[in-house]
Amino acid sequence: MIRIAWMYPDTLYLHGERGTVMALERTAAAMGIEAETDRIDLGSGYFDPMDYDIIFFGPGELPSFETVISEISAYRERLREFMDSGRVLLAVGSSFGLFCRSIGLFGDGRAADGSCSVKGLGIIPAEALEREYVYGDDELVDAVYNGREMELLGNQIQMMDVFTDRQDGFSSLGKVRYGHGNNGSDGLEGLVYRNSVFTNLTGPLLVGNPWLTAEMIKCAAAASGKEISGAEPDHSLEMKSLELKKAFIEDKAK
Amino acid sequence: MRFLPALITGKAAGFAAGLIDKSRGTNLAGAAAMKIDPQMLSHFSGIDPEKVLFITGTNGKSTTNNMINHLLRSKGYKVVSNIEGANLITGIATALIKASTPAGRVDADFYVFETDERYLYRIREQLPAANMLITNLQKDQVQRNGDPSYISRKISKVIKDFGFRLFLNADEPRSASFASFGRETVLYGVEKNSLSFTKDESFLTMPCPKCHHRIVFDYYNNDGLGSYHCDNCGYATSEPDYKVSNVDFDNGTFSIGDADFSMHHRLPYMLYNYASAVAVAKELAGMSEEECAEALRDFRNVGGRVDSIDYNGQHINYMRFKQENPETLQNFINMIADDPKEKVVVIGFGTVNDFDPHYINSFYAFDCDYSGLIGSNVSKYIFVTDTIAYDAANSFIYGGVDPEKVEILPTSDEEEILKAITSTGCDNVYLTIELHRFERMKAFAEKGGAL
Repeated sequence: MIRIAWMYPDTLYLHGERGTVMALERTAAAMGIEAETDRIDLGSGYFDPMDYDIIFFGPGELPSFETVISEISAYRERLREFMDSGRVLLAVGSSFGLFCRSIGLFGDGRAADGSCSVKGLGIIPAEALEREYVYGDDELVDAVYNGREMELLGNQIQMMDVFTDRQDGFSSLGKVRYGHGNNGSDGLEGLVYRNSVFTNLTGPLLVGNPWLTAEMIKCAAAASGKEISGAEPDHSLEMKSLELKKAFIEDKAK
Repeated sequence: MRFLPALITGKAAGFAAGLIDKSRGTNLAGAAAMKIDPQMLSHFSGIDPEKVLFITGTNGKSTTNNMINHLLRSKGYKVVSNIEGANLITGIATALIKASTPAGRVDADFYVFETDERYLYRIREQLPAANMLITNLQKDQVQRNGDPSYISRKISKVIKDFGFRLFLNADEPRSASFASFGRETVLYGVEKNSLSFTKDESFLTMPCPKCHHRIVFDYYNNDGLGSYHCDNCGYATSEPDYKVSNVDFDNGTFSIGDADFSMHHRLPYMLYNYASAVAVAKELAGMSEEECAEALRDFRNVGGRVDSIDYNGQHINYMRFKQENPETLQNFINMIADDPKEKVVVIGFGTVNDFDPHYINSFYAFDCDYSGLIGSNVSKYIFVTDTIAYDAANSFIYGGVDPEKVEILPTSDEEEILKAITSTGCDNVYLTIELHRFERMKAFAEKGGAL
């Protein structure tokens, strides 16, 4: 069995990303391994990341970040241990920012110059900065995950830009073929550490990109020595969708 | 100095627009005038701020505006309003230009303006207003709004900086949380009724606007609206000052206070429009609930979200939903689920073309609960439109819809869609698709000719 922790789902609740948890459960079942999901609510008490194979953080609202960071700071070292073990931590959308060293936020007395930033978990070599205006668009990425080349297509509802530094063990999730990516300037999307992924892509991410879902299930199972008995499910519907959406993107990129 | 030339230009532009097409020009006069005087709204005379109401929020602004206008005008009041729905600052300028004398004096009993949430601050900077009604604050237009807190923060700043008497939806946690910011607050709400519903724990609610912990909905009257509480900080639904009760959807009746109302549109979300409109009519204009009930007896919401086509012996029920807005999609689903007869459901999500860049979004469909729909005797689902048909189908399949009942037709050609509907032979069809496509389908059906 694969155990999934769904972190603070009613606080990190945006952009239909509950679909990503559904995709993990469905894909695991199709690949012959049962998946069980626990909701971890704010203030719910005992939580040990190492009890899980996959930990999922969905997109949330920026005003909730201090509350969320305050809660998960207690698990910071266990989360690092979790990532080091090769299990899968997936942070989607604005949750990418939670793991940065700091998050520069506007409004409510905070400034963008860093002096009033919210301190992030500091697990990844990156800084996040709230955007003055929201940027919403499609994003198409040429990615490599678990050694498999793949196209990832989804939405970006970019509330904050992310600026990453080079650090051993970390690499980008992929190169942006269309869209804004981490910050609109370096052509990179997301960050990967071993099998953990931090990305701006939503959609829901793992519904629209089931090839990534399957690889994550494989990684999570392998990290804890669990066997997968079945093959990847049929992706034909998603492939047809991908082709239609790519045509739309190519048309508007002209 | 610039005001009078701007006013003359605006009046001329409005007159010209009216000659060309009376249905157009709701922004044109204001846009032309404000190029000359960007501060134009602040230069009109004769407007008493105590008689000015801004209506803002995510869903229901236009219907609420229509209803309040209907109530006030029924009593003989003169109302200046952007009732045509142009809710940016230029739309409000257009309404005032039209109503003003050549010297820029406006003489009305009330000024009721639907206002876009994002431009509220700019509008209020120029046009003093003592009253604000917030319908609800929901997920909507994420491409420019990101998330509900983004808009909530903007509205909160307007309220704190300028001060208002607030008319707030007691059943919607975000807007109700503004109660302590108003110089006076009037709450409206709806009692639990036969169409109230619950959702299981796999569906997400929202963070508490006070402490960011989980909001629990005890029940919903409409998606995102109902009785709620937060176990962490104790924030919870307050008893409204104006409450819709004794709702009887079969007979189309309800009560507010001691007055009995009848409603032409038997839609749960419209109960909130009734409650808020009555609250405004009584508090602003002193109208009694009984007077409101009498005035609203013949209210019809022109330009609402519901319509129909009769074609080849098939009745096609249409309901428009807002792209990127799960609540209005859920309303469509609930409307279908409420009909036990055998039916075909046709879903046409479109690309989001409101702003540049146009983009693809169907993720809001994952916030919806399809369980009622699945158990409501749907014989077939047809997913259409040329870019999102597969994604839309997938979201319904994830929601539990039987893939065997799903047909995917990746086309936006209205005639092909009508042919597919005809081929089902089912006389009871539910359709949602972009409004302009529906209008072409309706024109085709009514004329029996080419599109």
